[in-house]
Amino acid sequence: MPDQQSSVVAAGSPAATTAGGADGAGTPSRGSGVRTRGRGGARGDRASLGSALLWLGPALLLIAGVVVYPAIELVRASMSKFSITGLRLGDAGWTNYTNVLDHPLLPTVLVNTIVWVVAVVALTIVISLGVAQFLTKDFRGRKLVRWAIIVPWAASLVITAKTFVMIYDFYYGTANLLLSKFGLGPVDFLGSDTWIMPSMILVGVFVSIPFTAYVFVAGLGAIPRDVYEAARVDGASPFQVWWRITLPLLRPALLVAAVLNIIYVFNSFPIIYTLNDRNPGFSHDTTITFMYKLAFKSAEKDVGMSAAAGVFNVLLILVVVMVYLRFTRWREETA
Amino acid sequence: MTSRHMGAVRVAAVALAGGLALAACSGGSGAGSAGGGGASDSGQKVKKIKLVAAEYSKDHTAAFWKQFADKYKAKTGTELEVQVVSWDSIDQTSSTMIQNNNAPDILNLNAYASYAKDGLLYNADEVLPASAKSDILDAFVKSGTYQDKLYGFPDLSSARAFFYNKAIFKKAGIAAPPKTWDEFEADAKKIKSLGGDTIPYALPLGPEESQGEFSMWLFNNSGDWKKDGKWTINSPENTEALTFLKKLTDEKLTQNNPGKTNRADAFNLFKSGKVGMVVGFSPLAGQLDEEKKVDYGVAPMPTKMSEPQTFGVTDYLMAFKKPGNQEAVKAFYDLYYQKDQVNQFIKAEGFLPVTKSGIEFFKDDPKLKVYLDTLPNAHLTPTDDPTWDKVKLAVQQNLGGAVGSGGDPKKVLDDLQKQAESGS
Repeated sequence: MPDQQSSVVAAGSPAATTAGGADGAGTPSRGSGVRTRGRGGARGDRASLGSALLWLGPALLLIAGVVVYPAIELVRASMSKFSITGLRLGDAGWTNYTNVLDHPLLPTVLVNTIVWVVAVVALTIVISLGVAQFLTKDFRGRKLVRWAIIVPWAASLVITAKTFVMIYDFYYGTANLLLSKFGLGPVDFLGSDTWIMPSMILVGVFVSIPFTAYVFVAGLGAIPRDVYEAARVDGASPFQVWWRITLPLLRPALLVAAVLNIIYVFNSFPIIYTLNDRNPGFSHDTTITFMYKLAFKSAEKDVGMSAAAGVFNVLLILVVVMVYLRFTRWREETA
Repeated sequence: MTSRHMGAVRVAAVALAGGLALAACSGGSGAGSAGGGGASDSGQKVKKIKLVAAEYSKDHTAAFWKQFADKYKAKTGTELEVQVVSWDSIDQTSSTMIQNNNAPDILNLNAYASYAKDGLLYNADEVLPASAKSDILDAFVKSGTYQDKLYGFPDLSSARAFFYNKAIFKKAGIAAPPKTWDEFEADAKKIKSLGGDTIPYALPLGPEESQGEFSMWLFNNSGDWKKDGKWTINSPENTEALTFLKKLTDEKLTQNNPGKTNRADAFNLFKSGKVGMVVGFSPLAGQLDEEKKVDYGVAPMPTKMSEPQTFGVTDYLMAFKKPGNQEAVKAFYDLYYQKDQVNQFIKAEGFLPVTKSGIEFFKDDPKLKVYLDTLPNAHLTPTDDPTWDKVKLAVQQNLGGAVGSGGDPKKVLDDLQKQAESGS
């Protein structure tokens, strides 16, 4: 039964595929780790360079076209001086980079980014753990609930964000209609400096839960039943079972979920841009919307400076990816 | 077995997609510092020109340009490719096109001076038929002229006026729309005393278009953005006007958080019947007429001067210098400024004319009278100064802070003044 479940999920969602990879490495019973790594080299029948290129060609072309080329262009733009119209006026050296670093609101933007990423990822993981436990239980209408939870994931982020603008609106928002009924409202969710960040975080968590929960569902499905049986025989309490068996065996899935969410949430543009739309200045922007506003909305209106901010953003993501790779190596060693 | 790889590939893909999105946002880099020129020395004539048009309304903009392109093709044999872009993204679209050395032949935007400064545009002598040039209203010739040459050819215009909710005025016992700022404040207080959730005045100083709302007030206090070639953003008149708006906010005579309310939000509040007064323009009247929910009146703006002043806006159709496109572009303007074209467009979109013949065309429309009377003398923002293109953005991003709690109108205007002076 558990196997059946996880295969259903795996067929239905790419997230589960990732999670499958994660728990595959974490489950001691599988020994495929070494073989996977040694592919090609270990087998001894190494393909010729020509046929290797034939197989790799499309992927390499794709990487060159959609990764390497834009990256080069980004760096070039960041070293150029642009007119407000977008016309390239000449070389700028490192001026754009120093302008970004000297920007008076950069510290605010960085703090916002950290608060945003940490809060959304942490809350998402905690809530998703509960949701995943719930979803692996057998109950009537579980299929329906599983589908319902996918919906926020399937909907476009811009649409979700606009919907929340309507929920949060000071005069018409459904949230405030409800609060007023209880004599608590209205609250200026999007205009007040105190409420805007929590309001955005709530939406961020809302859209991140489906993916995360399904990573955990797959992770839970792959934990062997016999471990639980053994625990029950030994008289472990439900909490002990969860703390000492479920959580450690779920660790690979947790790592994957955490790191992928950090990248998604860090890069999240539509939620912040849409919900923060009415607020002037940069005081509630993250590095991603900061970069966009530098290019098109702010008084700087400077594509070069924005590109420099973009380079900083890429570097930040690279650090996160490197941390991830380190974790995966750690898993291989412990597998 | 491959699942581990898929995991890693997925991470890589996500990270790279992130990087890609960043790259996409920042656009490509400029392909050389082409400054136009060389437009006339190519003998090759283009067979197709491209127009990037701003979307004034979902219903009418694309439809107008489609019929226009058909007529243009029939008349000249040249094809006209039209790309209609929303106001939200048109700055980004045009900037990216120019970065990639792929400017359209004609671009419809609310600014032109920076483009003229960069040497990208044709001037009127090169592409505007003389009959069209002499027909354009003087106020718009002035605002479209950069360094003695006309580059910003107006496509349509608007002028602000004072909108009030007749039902609310009646309930509050206000007989006629206020003529002075004192009357305005007194009426606002009367409306406030009605209680409930009625909002006396909807004041949009959010980032969308705060310069428009503020312009309307400062022009009625004999202020201006620029006088005799000098920036006057922090002039005593302007400071007084912004301080007055802050006072309205502090006395809670406005909606909640005016510094963070965009124009569209203020209009929506007025359309819902919750608001007593708002500064609007003809498209708002069009929407109100269509919905028939609010019984409203339109009056000149309350003023501190002897005559009410109005703030006018015009957008531009500018022409980019590209090899071989001069004649095709000229033919475009020749057709656009035909009475039946330009005025048909303006009528459909609910805006105001930009030509003398257009004023004739619309003069019998009673709804437009209040605007048309003031249009030839409307004050415009200094769109003829490339510095304004940046100052405007700075105003949009900072003005709202002046009316917020702890906001200091004088300081906000001083900072903007400094920014403008260092930019010119």
